[in-house]
Amino acid sequence: MRHLAALISASLAATPAVAQDAFVLEDAVALCATCHGEEGKPIDPEYPIIWGEQYFYIYTQLRDFAAGRRASDVMTPMAAQFSRDQMKAIAEYFAARPWPTIEASMEEGDAAIAEKGITGGQCSACHGKWQGDSRIPRLAGRQPGYLRKTMHDFKNEVRTNAPDKTSTMKQLDDQTIDALARYLATL
Amino acid sequence: MKLLRFTLAAAMAATLTGGAVSAQEETSASTLYGDLSHVTQDMLDRAAGDGNNFLHTNGNYHQTRYYPARQINTDNVRGLRPAWIFQTEIVDTMETSPIVVNGIMYVTTAFNHVYALDARTGRQIWHHKHNMGPVTTYCCGPNNRGVAVSGDRVFMGTLDAKLVALDAKTGKQLWETQIADPELGYSETMAPTVVNDMVLIGTNGGEYGIRGFVKAFDAATGELKWTFHTIPENSVGVWATHDATGRDMLRDIEAEKAALAKMGDPYETLGGGVWQNPAVDLETNRIYFVVGNPSPDLDGSLRPGDNLYTDSLVAVDMNTGEYICHFQYIAHDVWDLDAVSPPIITTVKDGGGNDVKGILHAGKTGYVYVHKADDCSLIRFSEPMVSQEGRWTLPTAEGARMLPGANGGVEWSPMAIDPNLHLSYAINLHQPMTYTVKSSPYPEGKLWLGGSFDVIPEEEQWGNVSAVDYNTGKIRWKVRTEQPMIGGILATAGGLVFTGEGNGLFKAYDSATGSELWRFQAGAGVNAPPSSYTVDGKQYIVVAAGGNAQLNYKRGNNIIAFTLAD
Repeated sequence: MRHLAALISASLAATPAVAQDAFVLEDAVALCATCHGEEGKPIDPEYPIIWGEQYFYIYTQLRDFAAGRRASDVMTPMAAQFSRDQMKAIAEYFAARPWPTIEASMEEGDAAIAEKGITGGQCSACHGKWQGDSRIPRLAGRQPGYLRKTMHDFKNEVRTNAPDKTSTMKQLDDQTIDALARYLATL
Repeated sequence: MKLLRFTLAAAMAATLTGGAVSAQEETSASTLYGDLSHVTQDMLDRAAGDGNNFLHTNGNYHQTRYYPARQINTDNVRGLRPAWIFQTEIVDTMETSPIVVNGIMYVTTAFNHVYALDARTGRQIWHHKHNMGPVTTYCCGPNNRGVAVSGDRVFMGTLDAKLVALDAKTGKQLWETQIADPELGYSETMAPTVVNDMVLIGTNGGEYGIRGFVKAFDAATGELKWTFHTIPENSVGVWATHDATGRDMLRDIEAEKAALAKMGDPYETLGGGVWQNPAVDLETNRIYFVVGNPSPDLDGSLRPGDNLYTDSLVAVDMNTGEYICHFQYIAHDVWDLDAVSPPIITTVKDGGGNDVKGILHAGKTGYVYVHKADDCSLIRFSEPMVSQEGRWTLPTAEGARMLPGANGGVEWSPMAIDPNLHLSYAINLHQPMTYTVKSSPYPEGKLWLGGSFDVIPEEEQWGNVSAVDYNTGKIRWKVRTEQPMIGGILATAGGLVFTGEGNGLFKAYDSATGSELWRFQAGAGVNAPPSSYTVDGKQYIVVAAGGNAQLNYKRGNNIIAFTLAD
């Protein structure tokens, strides 16, 4: 799947259809849908849901991808083609879509482990009731694979565009991260 | 004075007879108290003695949270029962201080909803939902701590860093003004303060690299009158090595001086939010407020110097915003143990036993600090209300344990005092944390802690209600609670203090002894400051039970008013 995304990205770079002087929102979002899903459910368990995500969060992530602050072989060249206004248009489009329903379940003991991790990391201070707000992403109902990967990427400094998350995630062991991913996915 | 009291009593009688609207029509607008619903400057000035209304976030301009009514008292508080419960639309963290004007109550919720309620019944009169912009940047929950009232207007700060004025009778927005840029980390959760037709408000953002301020706006138009930057262009200070309690803060002054020479003064992104209301001294036309932490919270390497005026008590001229004096508790703070609980003006004993005008502040360190009002100097600090373990321990890459944790001591929660007992009442957190530092450059409006502070879930946590004699610094009484406490407290002339807990309990204590005299289970965290008022001959205690985002206490949406059972 990642290979497919890379191919799409490479072809996008050579395709004038979404170049800045001929930006067509429908084309841009159709391209996004090839990985993030036609109906909002991503094609890969480690890809993020962007339907119904917060407008400002999507916009800032596109900016960070474009600037290399959030490094991604797939997303960086894709985002770099858009102007800030085009990024905003894309963000508005997806923020207005309904959040998809995904299947997720917890294992026995997950809730207690996850809640202990949440207390330790003071996660609710920013993430509140997990629905997201403006620049805070939604966590509830996300794909557990994406949640797990993201927490590990912060912990291992693969993702660096929210550097304080690295310190927080380093406090969490793998068992807690796994439990948190399943717990948040089921909310 | 007798005549004035008679006039007020007559107006109250009219209220009892004919209800709020007809009472307003029948009452002469020329009385000292106007038509009772129109909040005059005189009413605001005299709020400390007003047993009918609750006009200021912290009770009165001196912010004593000492309510003069005594119908509910130590003898009868056991008979306190819910009079009504109002459920808001938003089930989320609540920090609002209910404001009551002539039987009308104004409360706010998370995400900046405002409600006007009939304080007798809880009936909704109007509901205003702020038209929130797409960009908000805030730390510690989508909170709002309430409104300010003046004239026929209600004022609120918003998460998207605006100040709005509403018509008190309809909830219709009259004006709004953009205070600062939310994309850069500015937001508003504090209630404004209104004095002499000026609306005063600080800012959040110490976790995002803002440059903090207190601003004054024209109450009629929203026009900016003055700005006091809490971070001066020269923020270096005196290279203080010890904090206000005399402990070595372990600063590497030489390294800081070298960093300063290399990078210059960091004032533009140095933080210094003002989370809570100023105390207003009408005699001297001064306001006193406390300034929050430097940015980034845990990483001092990027901000050499004392980081003035972070972690400080500051006094400025009320009419111009000009600096008068300050006292810094912690220079170059790398623990977020800053100054957030609102200061209180009251008479205190100085070092020689003389009565002087004083300022009280409960630090996140867990001490009550007592200052002279005229020059901000420190008279004394109290015994610590929470254990001091490893203070100070510098944050490390691996994480270093210290107590108090970064939520304090005492958080933003306002204190109350009983001036007759010369006791200050604070709510505390016993919450050990690990402090981790990880340097990262200014992230242009994103969270910028420079590491993290993490609760140690394996360690026991709890809270206290503490009564401190501010004339001696000694703790008079201390009561332990199941969980770390956040919200606020109210003292009354009935010899009581009221405060709530994250587990839903709302309690009354004997203010002289700490004896628990009454409790109620609210079903969600009671993490907001209580208020009181009297209407139709009944005194009420009112509090929000909406839980707390920061400490993840159970959320709810209730405003609960209590009165004595008939």
